[in-house]
Amino acid sequence: MDDFNAPEQPSIRHRIQSAYLHELKAEGRPPVSLFKFCQILGISERDFFSEYSSLEAVEIHWWRHMMDGLIQSVESGAEWPSFSARHRMLAFLFAFTTAALDHRSLLLLRMGHANPLTAVPEWSGLEDRFEAFAKSVLMLGRQQGEIASRGPVTAVYPKAMKLLLRSVVAYNLKDESPKFERTDAFIEKSVAVFFDVMGRQVLDSGFDLLRFLLPGMNKCA
Amino acid sequence: MATEHLTQDSIRSTPLSRMAELAGTGAKVGLNYLKYYGQRAVSPESASKALRDDLDDVNARTVYESFSKLKGGPLKLAQMLSIDENLLPPAYAAQFAQAQYSAPPLSWPLVRRTLEREFNQPVESLYDRFTPEAAHGASIGQVHVAYRDGQKLAVKVQYPGVAESMRSDLRVVKPIALQMLGLREVDIAHYFTEVETRLLEETNYVRELQQSREIASACSKLPNLRFPNFYPDRCSNRVLTMDWIDGLTLDRYAASDALQSERNRIGQILWDFYMHQIHGLKRFHADPHPGNFLVNADGQLCVLDFGCTRSITPEFYALQFAFLNPALLDSADELEAALRAMDVILPTDGPAQRQKVTHLARESIELLTRPFRAGRFDFTDPSFLRTMYEMGETNRQDRELLSLRGARGRAESVYINRAFFGLFSLLHRLRAEVETCGELSMQRHSSNQGPAQSFLKKGLG
Repeated sequence: MDDFNAPEQPSIRHRIQSAYLHELKAEGRPPVSLFKFCQILGISERDFFSEYSSLEAVEIHWWRHMMDGLIQSVESGAEWPSFSARHRMLAFLFAFTTAALDHRSLLLLRMGHANPLTAVPEWSGLEDRFEAFAKSVLMLGRQQGEIASRGPVTAVYPKAMKLLLRSVVAYNLKDESPKFERTDAFIEKSVAVFFDVMGRQVLDSGFDLLRFLLPGMNKCA
Repeated sequence: MATEHLTQDSIRSTPLSRMAELAGTGAKVGLNYLKYYGQRAVSPESASKALRDDLDDVNARTVYESFSKLKGGPLKLAQMLSIDENLLPPAYAAQFAQAQYSAPPLSWPLVRRTLEREFNQPVESLYDRFTPEAAHGASIGQVHVAYRDGQKLAVKVQYPGVAESMRSDLRVVKPIALQMLGLREVDIAHYFTEVETRLLEETNYVRELQQSREIASACSKLPNLRFPNFYPDRCSNRVLTMDWIDGLTLDRYAASDALQSERNRIGQILWDFYMHQIHGLKRFHADPHPGNFLVNADGQLCVLDFGCTRSITPEFYALQFAFLNPALLDSADELEAALRAMDVILPTDGPAQRQKVTHLARESIELLTRPFRAGRFDFTDPSFLRTMYEMGETNRQDRELLSLRGARGRAESVYINRAFFGLFSLLHRLRAEVETCGELSMQRHSSNQGPAQSFLKKGLG
């Protein structure tokens, strides 16, 4: 996943990225001084800023790029067009945890102590990309009747998926089962819960009944 | 192989929600009991039996409904209890018996993921063709049809994480089970340890592969018995690949219009298989559920699923089967000595307790050794199994018996009882008449021990 920039002739962008990630993994913290970072790489600050607007942006872009590549790879799978929304989300999350094995040290560094409810700044780009993906999956679910339309509540679903992704990472980082098989079970079961909740069910009929009864209650009052 | 309709039920997720589910069941069962006692208080004596049956029925449904939403431990436990019908009122047994066929299936992406995780290869390179929908559920996994080199295969995929869930589920189920059966934990802790050990063994598919190959080769001389061929290069801790065998599961075969002579023949194969394992190998298939046996088009009996096997030591074997010696019932001293040796009578028991236990043991032995003493036994007669259930039920409600303290009996007895009781139930379903002495007389030659088997703990429930 690291070599999405042409590997034969490392561009400045690619060199910046490799050096940044190397320092982050090796030192457990991102480069502190931009000046020193550029000096070691043998590039000018102008070179740096023509690629990235800040040191933090290097990492944000990197995570986003990883997500981008992953989404493209699952979407090009042979079975993808035949998958329901639920299966697409499952397939994506399984692919994500597989890809995450290559970056476990980075994930531990960034997400190891994070609470799934709070955003990690370095993940902002990745999460934006994921949210767009989740929206497209949810849209398919609505079209195919897998997911109930609930007006304004529906807008919350992509955010809920984002929380799901963070929970999967949090679970995975704490998972000590062989080959992280419990993470797989966690994904299967939590996706089932999300899709069951988003599907048309007792909540909708209950709400319908309530709406039907409420005007009457007002009259009685 | 049963191709039962699989429903996409909601899958309970975290240990916490599983706990909540089971705790809810406990509460509901409790409420049902309250209702029962309330109704009984205001009902005439004559109606109380019907009420009790109603209660058992309602409780069984409640418990089963919650168990069916859970995978792994509770489902397995439900199945185990259902085979050991004597441990449960018949109403529970009927509901639990459904557990075998109604686990919610794993999604295809998860099945693919599991296979690829286990073998580090895409499914497409593992098999020529793989059916995404499960053909049927197994207790802790599901079975898919696949093809390789023109051979139709059955691929059993284990629910991921089930081994870990099993432990926590058992911990949750235990107090509820104890409550339901009116037992004290200290008295049957050794049985729970035994059950837990076996259940955890069942999650190890590599062990199952090895067991099934060993037992299959040790039974290769028995005629008309078939075992599926396994493919070790497609087997792992979580996945088993074997030949797909077409045939009728034993319960379906039993319900078919098979001729009486064929029923007897299949029953005899089954009987000989178990006697050979227990007396000869001293290791046996301890999951005699009808779903684990198929009758194929050639009239062979095919044995599936070696997840649960139990070995017995020669020492335990001698003690256990001493109870089959008819002379034992004639001598009170010998009977008591045998019961002491099996820890059924404890050194701390007073004369009244000894008498109670001995009386019960005599009754159980007389009943449960009936097939062996007969030489040829017709399992069609429902009175044999019914008497057994009734004895269990009476004992369960016997206050004097319930007040007997102490951990009685041997842990090894759990699965040997389960095997025999399962065998008797299967033969009854088959409506088969079998020769019960062939193997036993052979055994008399090989050891001087009068072979017998005890169902004492059955009686003690």
